[in-house]
Amino acid sequence: MNVAIRALDGPIRAEAGIPRRVLALLSTGVSKGPKEQVDWADLIGRVASTGDREAFKRLFEHFAPRIKGLMLRAGCSADEAEEIAQSALIAVWRKASQFDPATAGAAAWIFTIARNLRIDMFRRRARANRLGGTSELPDTPDPAESADVVISRVQDAARIASAITRLSAEQSMVVRLSFIEEKPHPDIASLLGIPLGTVKSRIRLAMNRLRDILDEQA
Amino acid sequence: MTINHHPPEDLLADFAAGRLEEAHQLVVGVHVAGCARCARFVQAIEQLAGLALEAVEPVPVASNAFEQVMSRIHDTPEERTAPDTGRDHGREEDIPSALRNYRIGKRRRVAPGVSMRPIELAGAENARAFLLRSAPGTRMLEHTHTGTELTLVLEGSFSHEGGRFGPGDFDYGDDEIDHRPIVGQEGPCVCLVAMTGDLRMNGLLGRLIGPFVRL
Ligand SMILES: [Zn+2]
Repeated sequence: MNVAIRALDGPIRAEAGIPRRVLALLSTGVSKGPKEQVDWADLIGRVASTGDREAFKRLFEHFAPRIKGLMLRAGCSADEAEEIAQSALIAVWRKASQFDPATAGAAAWIFTIARNLRIDMFRRRARANRLGGTSELPDTPDPAESADVVISRVQDAARIASAITRLSAEQSMVVRLSFIEEKPHPDIASLLGIPLGTVKSRIRLAMNRLRDILDEQA
Repeated sequence: MTINHHPPEDLLADFAAGRLEEAHQLVVGVHVAGCARCARFVQAIEQLAGLALEAVEPVPVASNAFEQVMSRIHDTPEERTAPDTGRDHGREEDIPSALRNYRIGKRRRVAPGVSMRPIELAGAENARAFLLRSAPGTRMLEHTHTGTELTLVLEGSFSHEGGRFGPGDFDYGDDEIDHRPIVGQEGPCVCLVAMTGDLRMNGLLGRLIGPFVRL
């Protein structure tokens, strides 16, 4: 698999003395300026209720390139990332009526769609390797092969959103790099300029902290 | 159902990120489907992933991607959700609804009082998943792992050094743990198990049960 580690390109690797953490944070977008406030959930609702093509186009233009970017960071090839981005937006169109703002933010919901498509793609590829055949994503996967099957939801989106804001910036960064961008721990260590052991303990602390915050709320 | 044993947090985060092997994804998913506490944790990781998706550097998609997507939407008939009848899994045990769409193989006796049914997985990587059914009071094999073993109790219970595990409880075994579970007397114990690596068996029961790990 082709692992795209953009943040390791260029000056970070070349100059040991550079404030790596700052660059790393910039490269993963945490300290970007104020975002334009678009109500993505509302746009999804318009797709669901009236098949609003303009609303869908805005969703496409915003999310398709970001899905592609995230999939590339997480180790997909360019073709795979493109295919997942396109298929994810098709699923956004088709499943728009299933979106429930009470259980997830729009971006989290779209992430889970892309994640499940990637799981399906890897399973198909594994099976194709075994049996010979195509590993392309079909528009309608067989239910038994879809990663959608076992996911459950709690009607708690607002509280969960407030829980994750209580993680420190360092903690959410390390969770993002490790689990969502799927970087190996040594890469995270050099990216953030911290020892490998600190990466491991910071991930563990972040996990425990998140569990504690959620338990406190319950 | 009171759940006392949950998957470790990093396993839940890997589950939320879609990084687990198929068999592990299945077993963790069945636990999460029945455990509000872990469902909240998974949703929190998904929210973090949503933030990461918002923050990531966009990479341009193909110049005609939008047109392609619109034509795929219009050319392919609307997704038909077939009536969800599930597969017939027999009546010997309650199959969790999350497993309803999986093909489950025939029961195989693997040792006195112990039988298993393999679960057919689409990708079939190097993990295996199966339903393991053990008679009340069965002392399970004494073994150590070279890989990991995830166990979710569906019915009945077992106990080992780590405590008592009843319906909904999740047991995580890796190569540092030596399990010697004993099935509770109240009834048969049915578990959903995902396993990677080989088992190094100790004892006669281990040798008897050996064949089933070569699924
Ligand atoms: Zn749980």
